[in-house]
Amino acid sequence: MNIYINGTGCVSPQLTAQGGPLLGTLKEYEQVRLAVVDPDYKQWIDLKQIRRMSRIVKMGVAAANLSLESAGLSTPDAIITGTAYGCLDDTGVFLTKMVNQQEEMLTPTAFIQSTHNTVAGQIALLLQCHGYNNTFVHRGFSFENALVDAILILGEGSAENILVGGMDEITNHSHQILSRFGIYKKAPVKTMDLLNSPEPGTIAGEGAAFLTLSNTKGPGCTTMLTGVSTLYKPLWEGEVIGHIVKFLESNNCTPEDIDLLVTGRNGDIDQDEMYEEVAAALFPDHPEACFKHLCGEYPTATAFGTWMANALIAEQTVPEAAMFYGNPPEKINKILLYNHHQGTHHSFILLSHVE
Amino acid sequence: MNDLKAQIIEQLNLQEVTPENIGNDQPLFSKEGLGLDSIDALELIVLLQQHYNIRITNPDDGPKIFHSVRSMAEYISANQTIQA
Repeated sequence: MNIYINGTGCVSPQLTAQGGPLLGTLKEYEQVRLAVVDPDYKQWIDLKQIRRMSRIVKMGVAAANLSLESAGLSTPDAIITGTAYGCLDDTGVFLTKMVNQQEEMLTPTAFIQSTHNTVAGQIALLLQCHGYNNTFVHRGFSFENALVDAILILGEGSAENILVGGMDEITNHSHQILSRFGIYKKAPVKTMDLLNSPEPGTIAGEGAAFLTLSNTKGPGCTTMLTGVSTLYKPLWEGEVIGHIVKFLESNNCTPEDIDLLVTGRNGDIDQDEMYEEVAAALFPDHPEACFKHLCGEYPTATAFGTWMANALIAEQTVPEAAMFYGNPPEKINKILLYNHHQGTHHSFILLSHVE
Repeated sequence: MNDLKAQIIEQLNLQEVTPENIGNDQPLFSKEGLGLDSIDALELIVLLQQHYNIRITNPDDGPKIFHSVRSMAEYISANQTIQA
């Protein structure tokens, strides 16, 4: 069974919502926390509805609409999302009021909007989509498990077009808490220098990216989702290397068939060591591109990575800002996207070019 | 009544609406008026509690109280007097 990516949409710290060539206008930052560039949400959402939506809901609705528009669809048969943190902003509003007002006079809006499946629910309400609707909250595997669910549903034949997305937001509260874990750099760093940073820590990011998947090839489709695999808490790099070899074998290819490796390097010298080991063992001469210096680190950043990898195949070129090692390949037939989130959640997504 | 309008705008996060845009007798819940919905009704009940310490004891009174800004203002005046 072939699974085609018929449309994509993305809201991120880059100008991804406005269309045009990939990274046509690069946004460079010098900070430890990247926020999305908000498009004009009113083009998709009525003013009366937008007033109740927090940023992550608006980002999700916008990315979902962009994906459907590029696929030439008005409504999908199913909506599946992945998010690690959910609607943090409204959760914070609700909990703060609960404490400040001693559990009395709580308003309904923040409560209603604070659940993890709010984004998928709002998209369904706006599109009047009464089909399958599910949200995966599996930390660094949230987006990947949404993809796996979509693959299974397409395999069953119970849906023809599925909208799949991953999204997370940063709030002041969440950034403060995560900063205490030492995840982020202590001083601002230029995003284009991030991947060569000699220090621990990365930069925080956020965003929403959606794919419209189908087992029927759409008119503008250039990419197939060939495979998805996850590996939780490998004991050492050999386990990751072995997993990649098996994953590629199960998809009838070898490391030599990969034209471009896209990795989730995030500029944390400790976290990036794994990518070095894997590249040295399996892809020593392969060109490598990266994405987290463009969108920041968050548990569903692979949704941005997959969106970018699809664009690389569609455009058959790699912008200089995305290249990390080697020269852009002349032809991009297969991309392996390898990401790990905080060393525990390793995921592998294989994309192939279709004529 | 302008203060009440400003409180309604803030509580309901009515974007691009100013107190001047809301007529005193304009229906709050019909499409010809502000077009508010049931979630907004709950927000308005909380507004009365928070700002005026008024609890609506009979839910059947809701449509009459929340018909317009004027009806809300009259209800607030009457009930604040009683409390005083």
